[in-house]
Amino acid sequence: MNLPAWWTIDPCAPFRLGPREFPGRIWTASGCFGYGLSAHDVAGADGRTPYDGLGAVVTKTVTPSPRPGNPMPRLVELPTGALNSIGLENVGIDAFLAETLPALEQGGVPTVVSLAATRPQEFGTMAAALQDAGAGCCHWHGVELNLSCPNVAEGGHDFGRDPDTVAACVAAARVHLPDRALLAKLTPNVAEIGILARAAADAGADAVSAINTVVGLEVDLATGRPVLPRRFGGYSGPGILPIALAKVDEIVSAGVPVVGVGGIADARDALRFFALGAVAVQVGTSQMRDPLAAADLAAGLVPDGQTQEPGQTQDP
Amino acid sequence: MNEPATITRSCRGSVLDNGPVSRGLLRLDLRLEVPVNFLPGQFAMLNRSGGRAFVFGRPFSILAVDGDTVSFLYRVVGRGTAVLAELEPGDELTFLGPLGRPFPGPDVVRPALLVGGGVGLPPVAAWLARWGRDGDVACFGGRDGHDVPWDLLGSDWAVSVDETEGVPADHTAWHGLVTELAADRLAHAEGPGTVLACGPVPLLRAAADLAAREDWDCWLSLEEHMGCGYGVCKGCVVPVRDPAVSPWRNATCCSEGPVFPAADIVWEVYGAQASLAVTEPERPPKEKP
Ligand SMILES: Cc1cc2nc3c(=O)[nH]c(=O)nc-3n(C[C@H](O)[C@H](O)[C@H](O)COP(=O)(O)OP(=O)(O)OC[C@H]3O[C@@H](n4cnc5c(N)ncnc54)[C@H](O)[C@@H]3O)c2cc1C
Ligand SMILES: Cc1cc2nc3c(=O)[nH]c(=O)nc-3n(C[C@H](O)[C@H](O)[C@H](O)COP(=O)(O)O)c2cc1C
Ligand code: FES
Repeated sequence: MNLPAWWTIDPCAPFRLGPREFPGRIWTASGCFGYGLSAHDVAGADGRTPYDGLGAVVTKTVTPSPRPGNPMPRLVELPTGALNSIGLENVGIDAFLAETLPALEQGGVPTVVSLAATRPQEFGTMAAALQDAGAGCCHWHGVELNLSCPNVAEGGHDFGRDPDTVAACVAAARVHLPDRALLAKLTPNVAEIGILARAAADAGADAVSAINTVVGLEVDLATGRPVLPRRFGGYSGPGILPIALAKVDEIVSAGVPVVGVGGIADARDALRFFALGAVAVQVGTSQMRDPLAAADLAAGLVPDGQTQEPGQTQDP
Repeated sequence: MNEPATITRSCRGSVLDNGPVSRGLLRLDLRLEVPVNFLPGQFAMLNRSGGRAFVFGRPFSILAVDGDTVSFLYRVVGRGTAVLAELEPGDELTFLGPLGRPFPGPDVVRPALLVGGGVGLPPVAAWLARWGRDGDVACFGGRDGHDVPWDLLGSDWAVSVDETEGVPADHTAWHGLVTELAADRLAHAEGPGTVLACGPVPLLRAAADLAAREDWDCWLSLEEHMGCGYGVCKGCVVPVRDPAVSPWRNATCCSEGPVFPAADIVWEVYGAQASLAVTEPERPPKEKP
C-alpha cells in the first residue's frame, strides 16, 4: 500500500508511554490473542511470525479468581463483525503470576497485562501482586485496566460508566505501579467518553485504550430468541470502526493520550486512528482470524526507506 | 504422537480441484504456498482472502496432504460452505493449519475400530491411511447409497446407510446406524482395542458407550463452533473431566482438542450445548441452481 505523505512514524520503533519504552505501536487487543503464548509455532509462508514488529500483546483479562466463562455459544458471526459473550474466562491472577507471566518473559513477548475486578481495592491488590511477581521482568511493560467488559454481570459496563469509579480504580492500581505504563480501557457505551478519559488521566493513567466492544444482540429468526444465552454480547470487528474513531477523537480533544482499538482490519484502518492522534493501536477481531494480522499491519506501516526485517524489534 | 510437532502455517492456497464425491459430500484440493505436515485428526481454518473474507474462518479436518496439496471433505450447511462449493480451480483461499491435537498415533492398542459418520470421515480416513494395519476395522455411515463416497472409501471400509436407496449393485451396505455396524464388527474382533470416531454428537456418544461397555480405549474428534481456531479467543469450549477441577472444566476444543479421550467428556453438558443444536442438516442441501 502507498503510505500517505503525512505518515512518517516507524510503528516498529520504540516509543515512550508514561514511565516505559514500548518496542512498537501496533499491539494485539485483549481477549483476541489469548495470553500471547498460543502462536509461537505459527509462521507465514515466508517464515514471518505473529510477533514480528509487534509493540505489545495485551493479555486476556485476568480477574482475582479463575472464571469458567459463559455457556456456549459464545460467538456469533455477523456480516460486519462478531458478537462475543466469552464471559472473561481466565486462569485467575494467582495462576497467571505463577505460570503465564514467567512464560511471557521467557518468550520475550512484550506484554501489557489486562486486569478486571469488581471493586477498586481489588485492582490495587492485583496490581501490587503483579508488581511483586513481575519486578524482574523486562518484557512486561504495563497494565490495562478493563473497566468495560459487557459480558460480566457484576461489574459489567455500568461499572466503567461512572467517572468517580474509573478514577478510584486507576488510583488504586497506580500507587503500586511506579515503573510500568498504566492504561484504562474504556467502554464506548456512554454518551461522553471524554469525561471518563479525563477522570482516568487525572487519577494517574498514562493513557486510555478505546474502545471495548459495543453492546449488541442478535436474534435467531427460526426460534425468535436471542442467539446468545445471555442475550447481549460485545460487538466488535469492521462494523465498529467509525464508532471507535469518533470515541478516539473525543478523547484526543479531551487532551488524553489514547491507544485506538476497534474494527481495525488493515494498515489503512490503523492510519485513521493515527491521523486522529492515537499513540498506538490494537488489533482484536482481525487477529483472531489471522495470527499474522498485527504483524502484517506493522510491516505495512513502515515508511519507505525504513525497512523492517522480521524479528528486528524483538525475538520471542 | 511420535512425530515432531509441526509448524502451523498461515498462508494462501489456490484451488486445484473442487467437486462432489457423492451426492452430499464434496472434496476440495488446495495447493498451498508451502508444503505442510499434519497428523490425522488435525484441522485447518479456511477463509476467503482479502476484503471478501468472512469475519472468522471455518474449521475443516484434513483428509490428506501431499507435499503442498491439502485435501478436505465437506458438506454444504450454511454460508461459508456454500461459498466453498462455488470455488473453481485457481480461486484463492486463506489457510491456517494444521491445528489442534491429533488422534493418538500407531501405538494405540490394536485392533483399531474407526467410525466415521458423513463429514466425520476425514480424520479417521487419514488415520487409516497413515497407520492402519491388518486387523483394524473401518466403518463409514452415510444417509443413503447416494451419500456414500464409494470410490474414496475403496475396499477398506464397511458401509452403513440409513436408507438403502442408491446403493450400487456391486456394493453392499448395512441398513442401520454406523454405530450398530461398528458394534457388530467389534463383537467379531480380537479386543479390547481402540475406538477412534468422528461424526455428529449422537454417533460420538454411541461410540463412547460401545467402547466403555467392551472395555476398549476410545478417542473422539469433537466439533464446536470456532472463532480463531488457534486457542486465543475461548469461543469453542467443551466440558471435560479434570481431577484438578470439580465437577468439570471448559477445555478449548481447537487447541486442547478437537480429539479428546471419550472418558473425559461430560456428555450431559456437551450434548446440551445450544451451539450444537444443528450440526448436520436433516436433508441434503439443494442442488446448485
Ligand atoms: C475441528 C472441526 C473439524 C471439522 N471438519 C469438518 C469437515 O471435515 N468437513 C465438514 O464439512 N465440516 C467440518 N466441520 C464443521 C464445519 O466447520 C462447519 O460445517 C462449517 O463451519 C459451517 O460453516 P457455514 O458458514 O457453512 O455454516 P454456518 O452458516 O455458520 O452454520 C450452518 C450450520 O452449521 C453449524 N455450524 C457452524 N459452525 C460449526 C462448527 N464449527 N462446528 C459444528 N457446526 C457448526 C451451525 O450450527 C449451523 O447449523 C468441522 C468442525 C470442526 C470444529
Ligand atoms: C472474543 C473476544 C474477547 C475479548 N475479550 C476481552 C477481554 O478479555 N478484555 C478486554 O478488555 N477486551 C476484550 N475484548 C475486546 C477487544 O479487546 C477489543 O476492544 C474489541 O474487540 C474491539 O476491537 P476489534 O474490533 O479490533 O475486535 C474481546 C473481544 C473479542 C472479540
Ligand atoms: S476457536 Fe478460538 S479458542 Fe478455540
